[in-house]
Amino acid sequence: MLNKESQFVRQLFMSLSFVLAGAGLVWGFVTIQGGNWINTGLRFFTSAGAGLSFSWKLDGLTVFFLFILLLGQGFSSLYSIGYLKEYEEKKKSLWPFYANWFLFLGSMFGVLLADDGFSFLFTWEMMSLFSFFLVLYENEDRQNRNSAYIYLVMTHVGTVFLTAATLFLYTKTGSFAFEVWAGAAPTLTAIQLNLLFIAFFIGLGTKAGFVPFHIWLPYAHSAAPSPVSSLMSGVMVNVALYLFLRLVWLTLGPGPIWWGWLFLLVGALSAIVGILSASVQSDLKKLLAYSTIENVGILGMALGSALLARSWNNVWAMDLALVAFFWHTLQHMLFKSSLFMGAGNIIQATHTRNLDRLGGLLKRMPKTGLGALIGILGITALPPLGGFWGELILFQSLWMNTLNLTNGWGKVILPLAIGVLALVGGLAMATFVKWFGISFLGQARSQMAERAKEVHPVQYITPFLVSSLAVLSVLWPAATLGLINLPLSVLRTGESLGIESVIGKPLIMSSIYLIILCLLTVVVVILSKRGVRRVTATWNCGGPLTSSMQYTATGLTKPIRILFSKVLGSQRNVERDFAGTRYSLRSLRYEGRIKEVYEDIFYRPSIRGLLWLASQIRKLQEGSIHLYLGYLLITVIVVLIVGR
Amino acid sequence: MDELLMILTRLLMGIGHLALILIAAPLLQGFIKKSKAFWQMRQGPSILQPYRDLSKLLKKEELISEHASWLFLLTPRIALAATLMAGLVIPNAWGWAPLSGWGDLFLFGASLGLVRLFLTLSGLEGAGTFGGMGSSRELFLGLLTEPGLLLGLIVLAFITATTSLQGIITGLQSVSPIFIPRLLAIVTLGMVSIAEMGRIPMDNPDTHLELTMIHEGMLLEYSGLSLALLSFSEQIKQLLLILLLAQIVWPSGLISSSVGFLGMFGALCFAGVKVAVLGFFYATVESLFVKRRLFRVPHFLATSTATAVLALVSLWIIRGQI
Repeated sequence: MLNKESQFVRQLFMSLSFVLAGAGLVWGFVTIQGGNWINTGLRFFTSAGAGLSFSWKLDGLTVFFLFILLLGQGFSSLYSIGYLKEYEEKKKSLWPFYANWFLFLGSMFGVLLADDGFSFLFTWEMMSLFSFFLVLYENEDRQNRNSAYIYLVMTHVGTVFLTAATLFLYTKTGSFAFEVWAGAAPTLTAIQLNLLFIAFFIGLGTKAGFVPFHIWLPYAHSAAPSPVSSLMSGVMVNVALYLFLRLVWLTLGPGPIWWGWLFLLVGALSAIVGILSASVQSDLKKLLAYSTIENVGILGMALGSALLARSWNNVWAMDLALVAFFWHTLQHMLFKSSLFMGAGNIIQATHTRNLDRLGGLLKRMPKTGLGALIGILGITALPPLGGFWGELILFQSLWMNTLNLTNGWGKVILPLAIGVLALVGGLAMATFVKWFGISFLGQARSQMAERAKEVHPVQYITPFLVSSLAVLSVLWPAATLGLINLPLSVLRTGESLGIESVIGKPLIMSSIYLIILCLLTVVVVILSKRGVRRVTATWNCGGPLTSSMQYTATGLTKPIRILFSKVLGSQRNVERDFAGTRYSLRSLRYEGRIKEVYEDIFYRPSIRGLLWLASQIRKLQEGSIHLYLGYLLITVIVVLIVGR
Repeated sequence: MDELLMILTRLLMGIGHLALILIAAPLLQGFIKKSKAFWQMRQGPSILQPYRDLSKLLKKEELISEHASWLFLLTPRIALAATLMAGLVIPNAWGWAPLSGWGDLFLFGASLGLVRLFLTLSGLEGAGTFGGMGSSRELFLGLLTEPGLLLGLIVLAFITATTSLQGIITGLQSVSPIFIPRLLAIVTLGMVSIAEMGRIPMDNPDTHLELTMIHEGMLLEYSGLSLALLSFSEQIKQLLLILLLAQIVWPSGLISSSVGFLGMFGALCFAGVKVAVLGFFYATVESLFVKRRLFRVPHFLATSTATAVLALVSLWIIRGQI
């Protein structure tokens, strides 16, 4: 029997979180109306103390990401009202979850609002820490503890770089304020500027999940409880990308041209590696986490295109790339949270995350299935939903960048980025057809899937709400563009074309397309509503059909695994045991494995190097008293010489 | 009032555009079948046979697998609607596309992608092996064709400095037919179209041997009306691809109604001839080659993508921009 009190507490806390998000959104819409602070920024609660100060600022860029954060918070809180019930049934204390949930959300607010290096680092560290605790919430599982540990280590590697960059800027300018940094940036030498950029790139790229700093992401995002996964994948990576705009775009200023190329190349690499790894996964949530890397890659490419256009003074292409960036940020947040919620529902209903044990869920959980279907339509970047229009704008920006470039090999590399995006789109389709098709269609592959029941209503209603918002954003593109205009006006420098003239007309096509497609479908459905239908068995060459005859998750993307075996490092190991003759097989063992290529070529050598260095340093400390006396002697001599 | 009239005219023209596509699609299929029969020294079925096949299927009882869900019945309807959406961006005989604006060349491939998504999902509906096999292979082919298709069109977009298909076709009129980047782009699109249409050497549209088929594999569980819708949308897709290619090889540009009824009719006939010639060409290709193994297909499609890159490089070299 459920404990009445804990049920009340759960509903109270999660509704509170939901209501707070809603109130924040309403407050935002009201304040924005009369705001002339969108470009200049609105400062508040600034406390200047002895050396350390906290200062916060609200401007158009922040407002956009706050909107994303509030939406994410609202949806995942609503979802949690149903989702957390399972933990109560398991008699697991939810207090740590509530505490970390609110602190995690609060620290993300802090990062978005921070206006100086110190508050930024402070809230950033809090965000890492509380998300680490949330990843660790299901700590009974050894794998989850391991994932959380990898996350903690990697996120601190990133923080080290951020701290170094912050302290360097502090020593240079004597202030933590972003504004002072931006003013001082032109006075820095090229080497200093580039080193700062690299430090920010590594530090923020680790949190965003750029390849090769991505290895923690699939573990951590999939180990967390589903509402937290949806927050981490939908919102936290965007917080990292927001900081790229804040610290690189606005503070370090227009840098050398290779910054743009780096974003474009790392973005393309992340997109391909992310989606390739996703396509061969059989774990419901890990697949989604890898797809987050892909989408971060696409966002990175958009940033790259924007930076390049900025260096080439190509205002039009820059605006397009930025619009694509913000558009895709919004759409990715919506679809990824909806998919993580779908995955959470499946896991609660079947208690497995392995795709190869699912199947036939669309009949047992039709509402969850419908939400998930809309989710995969959006995330595979297909029309009529929003994922496609974001990529269309990005294509257009890359195309425009190429056309306006007078000469150079960039004219070939930029269109190749379009080719990469097309390949990524195809792979994303394979990945999500597998994700949806194997789990929801066909026959159940296990007892658990057979017995699956629809979950708590709020858990399928929330994905519907998310999907309807996604549809609305396409049906009414002017509203979405109005939202995007807020950060755009902050980021734009010099003359502006006005968002309408850059993009207004083509995006009306998104609603026209959606409407015509729906009309055509309705017409076809009505015209084809006749004829006799009979339900029969699937044709199987006359034999009985068992559930193991279906394609498995591994099998469905096997051609991809074979074609890209070099990139994926896929291995197979087959052991056959023949009973005397070659024609009868007694037993067969098959083992397939996907190597984490980056762990092998990048991380293991560097860990080995670190350990070797540590063992070398240890030689200084052999434990011999004579050696230590020798050190003392040398120290005394050195001090005497220096202080002479 | 004038605006309303204009919208109404455009709407009617759009419906006419779709109607023309709907009527012509089975005819092209019949013509290609007849051409293949010609190379095989057979009499072959009548050119009108596809219409008869479709109307026969419409009357038949429909069998549905016991494992299938509502998605199974939705797929044929969405497939037809989305294929027609792809048709809305293709310029017709008079060089006019109902849905044109910048970036609509991306819409063409993406609309076909929507069809592919639903088809591959439905392949998994029957819970049998053959459907899954078809889906798995179709997804594999799909991801390999997409870069080629997009890059080929992008090269043409660079040549004519517009990303709208209608603009590209109009712009190509003033480009020499033996302009090398254009020829290479045509080669790319020609190769990709073979894969998209599911023809030899990628897939065999005539086979009913379960282990070799791709597109037919996904449709294996379909019958009756749903099968008719799916075959019909496949025929439309074939027409669209061939029409697009024909417009790129012999562009006729935007023809206004001022040329009079006879001129309009002439343009329609010209378009018909173009499409028929290309259809005959594909029938010839299909008669000359054998179907390739699945893992030979990436080489073929990689060649088409590489050709597109070559077209791009040659374009910039010719323009002296590299």
